[in-house]
Amino acid sequence: MPDQAPPRSSRAWPQIRAVLVALHVLAITLVALPAPDGGMNRAAWKDPTVQHEIHAWSARLDGLGVQIPPAELEEDAWHFAKRFMAVRHAVLRPFRRYYQFAGTWQSWRMFVAPHRYPARLQIAVRAGSAWQTVYERGDPQATWRRRQLDHDRMRAQIFRLSWPGYGGTYARFTLWIARAAAHDFPYASQVRVRFFKYRTRSPAEVRAGVPVQGRWILARTRDLQRFR
Amino acid sequence: MSRLWRAWVALLDRREPGTSLALFRIGVGLCVLLTIGSVVHAHLVGVIWVSADHGGGYRSMTDNWLVQALGGATPAVIGRLVVASLAGGVLLTVGLGGRVVALLTLQTTLAVTDVNGQAAGSYDLVLTNALWLLVLADSTATLSVDCRLSTGAWTSERRVPVWPRYLVIFQLFLMYWTTGLQKVAAEWTPAGGFSALYYILQQPTWQRFDMSWVAWIYPLTQVGTAVTWAWELGAPLLLLAYFWRYTADRPGRLRAWANRVDLRSWYALLGVAFHVLVTIPMNIGPFSAICLACYPCLFTPDEVRRFVGRFRPDRVKAGRSQGRSA
Repeated sequence: MPDQAPPRSSRAWPQIRAVLVALHVLAITLVALPAPDGGMNRAAWKDPTVQHEIHAWSARLDGLGVQIPPAELEEDAWHFAKRFMAVRHAVLRPFRRYYQFAGTWQSWRMFVAPHRYPARLQIAVRAGSAWQTVYERGDPQATWRRRQLDHDRMRAQIFRLSWPGYGGTYARFTLWIARAAAHDFPYASQVRVRFFKYRTRSPAEVRAGVPVQGRWILARTRDLQRFR
Repeated sequence: MSRLWRAWVALLDRREPGTSLALFRIGVGLCVLLTIGSVVHAHLVGVIWVSADHGGGYRSMTDNWLVQALGGATPAVIGRLVVASLAGGVLLTVGLGGRVVALLTLQTTLAVTDVNGQAAGSYDLVLTNALWLLVLADSTATLSVDCRLSTGAWTSERRVPVWPRYLVIFQLFLMYWTTGLQKVAAEWTPAGGFSALYYILQQPTWQRFDMSWVAWIYPLTQVGTAVTWAWELGAPLLLLAYFWRYTADRPGRLRAWANRVDLRSWYALLGVAFHVLVTIPMNIGPFSAICLACYPCLFTPDEVRRFVGRFRPDRVKAGRSQGRSA
């Protein structure tokens, strides 16, 4: 069982420590409270997953007798989020140095909502006139640089690349892929990077054998000659 | 108010042997090695942490103050930080250098994991918060090289302040509870048929392997969703359980019942099950390992020693022979 500390020469220290620990608890609690931090990109709100969520909330409110069309709900939510974030920014300002230097940021937005319209990365190289898929997420036959591309940190990066707002990073990412492909596939003339964006099937659809439906997005093709 | 303040000061003045905090330190040290070592093993240091301006992967890395102060995310700077972080992980695990090592490990680990926020995860936050609590804690009082050097033995009964252990408990509570609060999508609730876990398992980002087969055990994923959601939102019960234990001498049937069944241990047991079950089908990096490294702090050193004692070879042997004779 814990016991009390022996009497010490400084009577002030227990009081000072109590203040400092209370400040720590206050600081991490304030920054951990729910906020749309990281979701303040209006273009990303047009993603089907987000739109699906807005429509679901609109329908739910409708069921409670509050009629707000999805577009209006989105607009209201956006303005509320902007005001909320401004207040939050001001409240957290005194603690920012503490978060930064002590590594005490709190951001626990984990699996807030299932991503119903995910995107799967595919990389192919061109040899002659044929495209050969060398990497595709989840494909045991296409495993080029899998140790790198399947690493959890790289997955976090790749996840972001298919969302709006990451165009510049995606362009540089495809350059990195091109450099690596030029080195690893000396016979290839081009590399193509793209995502397959699709709606995840419901359990009933999977059981009924309904095929996955989606489309290719963000296709970027690069000539490999300039990287050799 | 002054009574409450005196109670707060008295709570923070408590001491106990350092076993729980030592196990926490060992776990966090191993997690530093796992977190940074896995990036080295995947040949990703130059790709995700070295700035494209300096011949690295694909991004300009500018976010961290220490990296900036050292001259930017060049291969040399990042390389030294990675080595320092790994060395810190080793020293923390063996318990050499106390708080100074914890601080250096925190700063070097924070520097590399902070430099590219797009290739980061919540596990980085759990890790850096845990490292900061190790800076505050006297975690090498026992089960450490420091202990061996100062006492001649690997273990010691020296009593250390308990409050850093309480902060680890609060950190776990805060993480689980605010995670639950932010699960606002219909799929987490009865309105969405508790379908969140099923659909999350279909996301290619997290899958270790094809998970379409869970469509045939969909009701189980619904139960998993409901339990996860309730367990996270129910995190305040963990704090309440500690309050009830702290005030066990006060009356109240609920308090007596919660202390008798040890609500805290049941919450922890569900947590272990949750982290293990989530890690099998999903690649979420070292998240579960880092969270579980905090779990020894949920218990007093006496409880930890009783638990570990059950697995001592002589006890296991005795238990087996008892079972045979029965």
